[in-house]
Amino acid sequence: MTVCNFFLQGRCRYGEKCWNEHPRGERGGDYRGTQQPSRGGQTNTHVLHVIYLTTLCFCEQNRIQIQPDSTECVLQNKYHGITRVIHRYRLLQMNSSDALRFVSLLHACFYFRDTIQKDMEIWQTSGQWPFSCYSVLPGKLSGFVEVSPEELRLEYYTGRASGDLQAYMNSVQQLADQWRSRVQELRTMSSSTRISVISELNDPSSQTSTHEFGSSASGFGTTSSSSSSGFGAGGFGPGSQSSSSFSFAPSKTGFGATNTQHASGFGSGAFAQPPSGFSAPAASASSFSFAGPAADDKSSAAAASSSVSAFSFKPSPGGSPAPADGGGFGQSSTRAADTGLFSAHSDLTAEELKEFTAKRFTLGQIPLKPPPADLLVV
Amino acid sequence: MSLFGTNTGFGSGGTGVFGTTTTDSHNPMKDVEVTSPPDDSISCLAFSPPTMPGNFLIGGSWANDVRCWEVQDNGQTVPKAQQMHTGPVLDVCWSDDGSKVFTASCDKTAKMWDLNSNQTIQIAQHEGPIRTIHWIKAPNYSCVMTGSWDKTLKFWDTRSPNPMMSLQMPERCFCADVVYPMAVVATAERGLIVYQLENQPSEFRRIESPLKHQHRCVAIFKDKQSKPTGFALGSIEGRVAIHYINPPNPAKDNFTFKCHRSNGTNTATPQDIYAVNAISFHPVHGTLATVGSDGRFSFWDKDARTKLKTSEQLDQPITACCFNNNGNIFAYASSYDWSKMSRVNDDCYVHYYIQQQNTSILLSINYRGRGLCRTTSF
Repeated sequence: MTVCNFFLQGRCRYGEKCWNEHPRGERGGDYRGTQQPSRGGQTNTHVLHVIYLTTLCFCEQNRIQIQPDSTECVLQNKYHGITRVIHRYRLLQMNSSDALRFVSLLHACFYFRDTIQKDMEIWQTSGQWPFSCYSVLPGKLSGFVEVSPEELRLEYYTGRASGDLQAYMNSVQQLADQWRSRVQELRTMSSSTRISVISELNDPSSQTSTHEFGSSASGFGTTSSSSSSGFGAGGFGPGSQSSSSFSFAPSKTGFGATNTQHASGFGSGAFAQPPSGFSAPAASASSFSFAGPAADDKSSAAAASSSVSAFSFKPSPGGSPAPADGGGFGQSSTRAADTGLFSAHSDLTAEELKEFTAKRFTLGQIPLKPPPADLLVV
Repeated sequence: MSLFGTNTGFGSGGTGVFGTTTTDSHNPMKDVEVTSPPDDSISCLAFSPPTMPGNFLIGGSWANDVRCWEVQDNGQTVPKAQQMHTGPVLDVCWSDDGSKVFTASCDKTAKMWDLNSNQTIQIAQHEGPIRTIHWIKAPNYSCVMTGSWDKTLKFWDTRSPNPMMSLQMPERCFCADVVYPMAVVATAERGLIVYQLENQPSEFRRIESPLKHQHRCVAIFKDKQSKPTGFALGSIEGRVAIHYINPPNPAKDNFTFKCHRSNGTNTATPQDIYAVNAISFHPVHGTLATVGSDGRFSFWDKDARTKLKTSEQLDQPITACCFNNNGNIFAYASSYDWSKMSRVNDDCYVHYYIQQQNTSILLSINYRGRGLCRTTSF
């Protein structure tokens, strides 16, 4: 069988169905519909890292679907309820167990997010006891006060005996309000909540115990949804050159009373900016191609890709050219490293470090471990 | 309070009357109602141990009293005696010889009630309300174990005012169970600790809770050799987890199941989820009974993983349940458990007041084939 030339260029539109041979082990990157070959040296490892970061920022309309058994990730876009496959990445060169590991980490992020939202919805509608803690493996989510019905009832009885039920009513009201706001917050996962939830789950040691009944002033009431705007506000708008402020204030959100010094474990907090960065005009279909601005796939007509180009790894105008810029990450790098998604510097050999710090990967020496957070360059 | 108080029940002997069309939602199962039940919610029930002839039922209530009834073979109940605390009674238990009853109360004390002389003496003191009390009979010692909301678990020799031993817990004790040589305590914040009681009580293991929400009740079950081998844990979220201590295959042997939810398997409408208030194991067959805030009780077979029977819905939540020593009688208490809190949007106070009526204890007496038993032998 003849070898498919387009495949070798990385742009075979038939993919699996192609009648020509797609030799495995060649550079993959089977971008459906894109016209651009991937740049030399950019391989699937990069792809994966990009997926990492971009999914974490998680624009509502984009979604990564992962088939757990395969080394395939599908990026879908849901716009007006229509799901379109934008890119299908195949992690050919990556050792499949590593690929699976990354993929399952991503999967876990999604799962948590989905479970949490669903659980919150159930909690709200089912009428179950509100004053309970809540946890999703591996950790416990903060913001919930745990009070058993007996304790509440005892408070009522003592209040009744002393003749002052108003204090009881007030504290119950307060607890109920706190609960409602926290549940609502978790249910409508804004990007900031997502980040803090993920970081909490990844670092269970930062949990603190919740307040007991009666300590009415638990600072949770303040909703934190408005915070987090410290992030690269303009980070991703079209044509953003700055890609600035990758740093995010630790303890960013008012979840404050407790934990989460790691505002985000991923060092990609900056991406968390909700849709604004992405859904540029009509076509929120952001194309993740690495290629330059001209890359769009069939699904999106609009050249919204310019906004996306910021994500690409290539050291193009939008991206920051050197690790120096990643300095913004630097502050959080140590924390991010804790989460296990990124490697610590110490985990990498000298060569791997060199690869990461270089402008481009050299073929054949691409490290299989994830990069350290501070070397992530976008 | 006189024994023949205001709430005289029907006390009629026969059960299992077919064909009656009147729906009495207060006692839809047509079970025997205990005469002169307490005036306020019943928090706990306990039947006398097999060492004593006859069946005596002890019930503690939020009206600060503990009452004792004799249940005769024909189903008649005779009120026998009553004692008072200065705070609501949260838990009761019998000594192994059936001569003494231990009661734990919100007034931070626990008392020993000698039934022969009808005298009580205080045997324990905590810094917070005492939530659980159990009698431990070991070959080389015997004591009373009390778990309290002051986060300690104390062991008392009834003759001394100081505890024999005091163990610190990570959080308030919400429920506990003892089957020598194992004790399980479930605390707030999803804490779960197993203690081993040989020689002297010591912490055996802390277990990561299989449930996501607040723990509500726990009961130990035994294996075929009558050794305690695991426990059932109920939460406020209508779910019970069966957990073995040393299973051959934890992933397969431990499981959770949903119960006390409305709508069954119809997922179209949001379910109402009710707390599991108490769990009790049948002493002979090993089947378990759960009672919930929805006003139903259910029997389950944990080995076959099936539901055996669900009762009709009572008009009030069921707060406590207990099997007698040979498993012929199942007692359950119908009274308010403070669960409507969550459904209240406006004035909570009014709702509580309305609910405090018609507390009753019902006895389901097993005539042959009533469905309490498993079909296969244990």
